[in-house]
Amino acid sequence: MTPGTTQGMIQDSMMTETDPQAAKSPEVALAVRNLNFYYGENHALHDISVDFPARRVTAMIGPSGCGKSTLLRIFNRMYDLYPGQRATGEVIFDGRNILEHDLDLNILRARVGMVFQKPTPFPMSIYDNIAFGVRLHEKMNKADMDARVQDVLTRVALWNEVRDRLNAPASGLSGGQQQRLCIARSIATRPEVLLLDEPTSALDPISTARIEELLDELKEEFTIAIVTHNMQQAARCADQVAFFYMGRLIEVDSADRMFTNPKQQQTQDYITGRFG
Amino acid sequence: MTLATATQPKEARDKAGVSRSGSRRSGPDTAFHLLVAASALLVLVVLGGLVLLMGVGGSLAFRTFGLGFAFHDVWNPVADLYGAWAPLFGTIVSTLIGVAIALPLAFGTAFWLTAMAPPRIAAIVGTAVQLLAAVPSIIFGMWGFFTIVPFMARTVQPFLTHHFKHVPGIRFIIHGAPFGTGLMTAGLVLAVMIAPFMTAVMRDVFAAMPAMLRESAYGLGATRWDVMWKVVVPWSRTGMIGAIVLGMGRALGETMAVTFVIGNVTAVGWSLFAPRSTVASLIALQFPESPAGSLRLSALLALGFILMLLSFASLALARMLRGDTK
Repeated sequence: MTPGTTQGMIQDSMMTETDPQAAKSPEVALAVRNLNFYYGENHALHDISVDFPARRVTAMIGPSGCGKSTLLRIFNRMYDLYPGQRATGEVIFDGRNILEHDLDLNILRARVGMVFQKPTPFPMSIYDNIAFGVRLHEKMNKADMDARVQDVLTRVALWNEVRDRLNAPASGLSGGQQQRLCIARSIATRPEVLLLDEPTSALDPISTARIEELLDELKEEFTIAIVTHNMQQAARCADQVAFFYMGRLIEVDSADRMFTNPKQQQTQDYITGRFG
Repeated sequence: MTLATATQPKEARDKAGVSRSGSRRSGPDTAFHLLVAASALLVLVVLGGLVLLMGVGGSLAFRTFGLGFAFHDVWNPVADLYGAWAPLFGTIVSTLIGVAIALPLAFGTAFWLTAMAPPRIAAIVGTAVQLLAAVPSIIFGMWGFFTIVPFMARTVQPFLTHHFKHVPGIRFIIHGAPFGTGLMTAGLVLAVMIAPFMTAVMRDVFAAMPAMLRESAYGLGATRWDVMWKVVVPWSRTGMIGAIVLGMGRALGETMAVTFVIGNVTAVGWSLFAPRSTVASLIALQFPESPAGSLRLSALLALGFILMLLSFASLALARMLRGDTK
């Protein structure tokens, strides 16, 4: 037996362990390996391993409390704000395990943006909402900042609606506009990954549709991980879908196969509405 | 519905119980309505009564000394000459010192309790804050008298005098014999008294802030400092002003604790370490010695009237700062 064949066998065995779809994809933005998460004594995520392909939308679905939001909050170490929450295992981002203690969280969070269930405009003007995050990481003059603000507002299709009132408080915008502002704010720091935690759950259908269209454009540049309760939304937006149940990853596959021909009975039951 | 009942014969209506059940309900309902309205009106009556009592009682002093009563700095019961400026000055300055010290303390404690402390420790400290807020002011007065006054007299004042007595900007503030009593001591005791109140209010304000908003700021890579100054403070501005006014209100009217430590000398001066008096402490001390109908009693009531105006003014200021013009 030559060393070459041994290597081939190891590779083969690794291929069967990980998701074949992810293995085919040339680039992986976030690689999760044997991840466990604890809220104090409560073991919330069990041994999760999954890849998030770069510049694709990965939707995470599953019933409430299944751990999908928990996973999302690991990617920007949001759980670090709360004592007693801890993660073990690995999340490889740009060649580095982001769970390491000496990681600079402020830099990580500039590279991994997050948008929440409800719009969370800061108590300041529309302009400053965007400039706030940028100023934390970059020094730039007024003209460059103006250009950045216009750029990101244009990309979330908000520029024409707010160009005349950039100095008005952001709280005066409608819910859908506020959420697009929050997305603009997140992409203004030029992250590589965008985390969306049920970003349309507080929005009407029209605003929801606009956000979904937006995701389609944003994925050309960003790796997107979206948590959603809405099966149709996952089917419409996602390239890859991961189904979670009781803190375990049950199945992960391309969106097409997941919704037409899931391998696991539990997935089948959930997406057809039998539980959850 | 009303049309239908009106066209029905009377006995049918009685049978249906429409008119009777209506009258049965209106009895207690009207009584309840009157009761709650009366308790609300009582507020107006009491407030009006207080203003009237102080105003009428103090009218003799106001007539004798004119409106200048508020700004005369002589309080001389022997010569029967009274001016409110000395105690008024003491009240305003000691309150400002108290709020200035208590505000950062309360803000820091509240922010730490809501944003950074481990839950178990936050619960313990939070309860301690509430207990501290419930301590009667006389306790603070005695504590100030036995602890802060000697500390000021033996440590702080000699230290300041030794190091700063030739510094022009500071000399006039620390000037005075080391009695340990005075505006600074009163301000310190007031700060310790009102800080728990302000902490409790601010903690509620911060806790009411959506966790998502805070996380959004952290999610952009903001430091705790950025989040505190650029998101938490602007978001909770209204509530924080409320906390400050609550603390100021208590400091303005605080009587016992201040009487113990301020020295009770009716003089005006910029030294924060010389014995002074406040409106409330002066009234408390001199009220029992002032015979009914005397100019002195009237002057004390007039002082009370001015103190009430001062409280109202601080409330109005708070509303203005809050941008609430109604």
